[in-house]
Amino acid sequence: MEREGACRARDEGRVRSAPSLSIPKQNEVQEATASWQGVQGGSAPLQAARTTSRRHLALALPRLAVERLGWAGPVLVWQGVGPRREVVAVSGVTGVQVGQALSDAQAVAPEARVVEADPAADAAFRERLALWAMRFSPLVALAGQGDGDHALLLDVSGVAHLFGGEAALLRRAVEGLARQGVTACGVVASAPGTALALARAGVTGLVVRPGEEAEAVAELDLRVLPVEQAVVLALRQMGLWRIGEVRRQPRGPLARRFGAALLRALDEAAGEVVAPVSPIRPPPDFWVARDFLEPLITRDAIDVAVAGLLRGLCAKLEAAGRGTRRVVLRAHRVDGAVQELAVGTGLAVRNAAHLGRLFAHKLERLEPGFGLERMFLGAEVTEEMAGLQGGFVRGALEREELARLFDRLAQRVQLWRLAPRASHWPVREVVRVPATAVVEVPEGWPRAMRPVRLLRRPLEIGVTALLPDAPPSLLRIGREAHRVRAAEGPERLEPEWWLADPLRQGRDYYRVELASGARLWVCRVGFGAEARWFLQGWL
Amino acid sequence: MDPDPSPYPLPPEPLPMDRPALLAALRARIGRLERAGAAAALARSQAGVVNLSESIDAHLPGGGLARAGLHEILAAEPGAAASFAAVILGRASASIGGPVLWIGPEPDAWPPGLARFGLSPAELVMVRAPRSTDALWAMEEALRCPAVAGALLNLSEIDLTSARRLQLAAEAGGALGILLRPDSEEAGHTTALTRWRVNTLPGTGSAHSLGDPRWSLDLLRCRGNTPRNWTVTWRTTTDRLDTDQDNLAPAQPQTTHTRRRRA
Repeated sequence: MEREGACRARDEGRVRSAPSLSIPKQNEVQEATASWQGVQGGSAPLQAARTTSRRHLALALPRLAVERLGWAGPVLVWQGVGPRREVVAVSGVTGVQVGQALSDAQAVAPEARVVEADPAADAAFRERLALWAMRFSPLVALAGQGDGDHALLLDVSGVAHLFGGEAALLRRAVEGLARQGVTACGVVASAPGTALALARAGVTGLVVRPGEEAEAVAELDLRVLPVEQAVVLALRQMGLWRIGEVRRQPRGPLARRFGAALLRALDEAAGEVVAPVSPIRPPPDFWVARDFLEPLITRDAIDVAVAGLLRGLCAKLEAAGRGTRRVVLRAHRVDGAVQELAVGTGLAVRNAAHLGRLFAHKLERLEPGFGLERMFLGAEVTEEMAGLQGGFVRGALEREELARLFDRLAQRVQLWRLAPRASHWPVREVVRVPATAVVEVPEGWPRAMRPVRLLRRPLEIGVTALLPDAPPSLLRIGREAHRVRAAEGPERLEPEWWLADPLRQGRDYYRVELASGARLWVCRVGFGAEARWFLQGWL
Repeated sequence: MDPDPSPYPLPPEPLPMDRPALLAALRARIGRLERAGAAAALARSQAGVVNLSESIDAHLPGGGLARAGLHEILAAEPGAAASFAAVILGRASASIGGPVLWIGPEPDAWPPGLARFGLSPAELVMVRAPRSTDALWAMEEALRCPAVAGALLNLSEIDLTSARRLQLAAEAGGALGILLRPDSEEAGHTTALTRWRVNTLPGTGSAHSLGDPRWSLDLLRCRGNTPRNWTVTWRTTTDRLDTDQDNLAPAQPQTTHTRRRRA
């Protein structure tokens, strides 16, 4: 009792000095871990104060590789490891271990269907499940070390009450995955490492109270830690099988022998270090979501739902005085598939009707299948946006009209402006900028007469000149010959050596007028007998 | 018993019809549908005109090229047609302010050259629409937007319905629309307010200097007036379109393009 009190007092001092809860600083970790040997039992309240603010749900998916196939009956999934084929996942077969040779496994279960592992498809399926899990929390991360070890990590801080508590949330997540035919072990804990370790060990339905992480993982096998297999085997040879046993050893020798990764994994599992979670999608600044009792199938119903969600999102944006530049619609299908549609705008907006028009074309791509059961709308990029009152600021309404037009056009066609750039090479005289950008035209630009239409690919033509370096007097374009009435030039342009291919040759440009009056911009590349002529545009 | 032995009811007797009155009513209805006449003229007169040169303005109804309308340019020579379109769009943009959209499958308009004809790159927005349906849609949206000064659509073929839609969109939004098409003998009918054919003429400069460009402008069709032909010179230094005064004879009547529209 006395010891616990002392610990709490120390702990309060620590919290005051370092209020940041996400990643403790290096000296904090050392200080905390230095107390292992003596005050093992008393460390619980210490961690409680540090980690109460965040809660994580880990969902281990131990049989993902088999369940992705959706086959009934016994299945063996194998993978080539060097010269042998190893079983990496089993379903419906007793007596076969993961890691066994495929031929042995087939001898045990000759009736099993055999399929080669497909890590890319597994990853895609895991991503699909992660998108599905975004219905519980906007922060969903992928965890696991690959090789059949798959897990999802959800930051459920502050969302559990929406589902009736952490235990209810956990049950819903596991049941939801079970409905999709995926076995999941779910654990809620403050530290993601703790939750993952427990879930990987096959524990399910457990809610670890804040501060009880170290006790919860003490009896777990070392295999659940994200460390190399060789390290686990070496520790076993020393007679250390469980996490708690290893944590009671002195840290210095452990770090010298096995490296810092082991200590880091141990600390994370015990909840002393909270590793940052990198979500698969950036959390939106503002979001609204809606679940439907009856799945939506028709376009009319989807339109109504999207319009309602947009109104809700715009109301939130308005209350915060912000406008959005990018909105993402995530439609969750009954079968667990998630489809994403995004629209971007040139100016910050919070007009539901305008956003609705932008989505109108995109919604055609939505495939409702057997129906949509949930829709999520998030404003991913937002900007400060003051309220506009029409009529007072001159040009403000036109600017907004124009930005809306450009947004609408950008959904179906490409649009851009061409801004002058300090370069003398013809095709680099202007640069593409967004349509909403403001283009400044410098004084005295352009320096010389330039074509009104520039051919994207110059057309090679034949030219007759009276002297080798004289202006052209006859142009042959295709099969037609045109007499030149007047020619201005040459204007010699050298390539920009600091940018372009050093072997690129300079060009001599001529402005010519044909007998018909047509004005062309032609250039000569090379000199003398090697000269080639090109038509590059109309003046 | 049914007194009528016929199993089918007889058709009702046709009412005596007032044919001229019916036709007049139908005409009025079509007129309302087309928004021709007073409403459209009012919309155009409010939107104003774009001035080209004294001689051309005097010939065009309203004293210039009407805004809130669609105009068609047949490009007998690509450079001259683009330059003439740039002159119109530049003036449309300069007088009321607002951007100009250049829509095409692969828009190859080049701002350093267009700036010579009064179209500033600050106002020019390029739109790339590889499919013609997208291009027509983009043009219609642009013309409908009141903040846009003008829009150009580079397209080889257009049907009457689409052109009519563009005309109505321009009337609604107030922008000046230009259809830039390659010249062909079979240009077909048009619903545009005017149709021009632009060709080049040999300049007056020496063999070593091009001088100012000269164009032949054929007004092939004009709603409200007769076709006409001008020879013009674009003065690069003063940004003026000068008409040759000696070429004021009306153009030769053409069989396909000069049919007067029924009143």
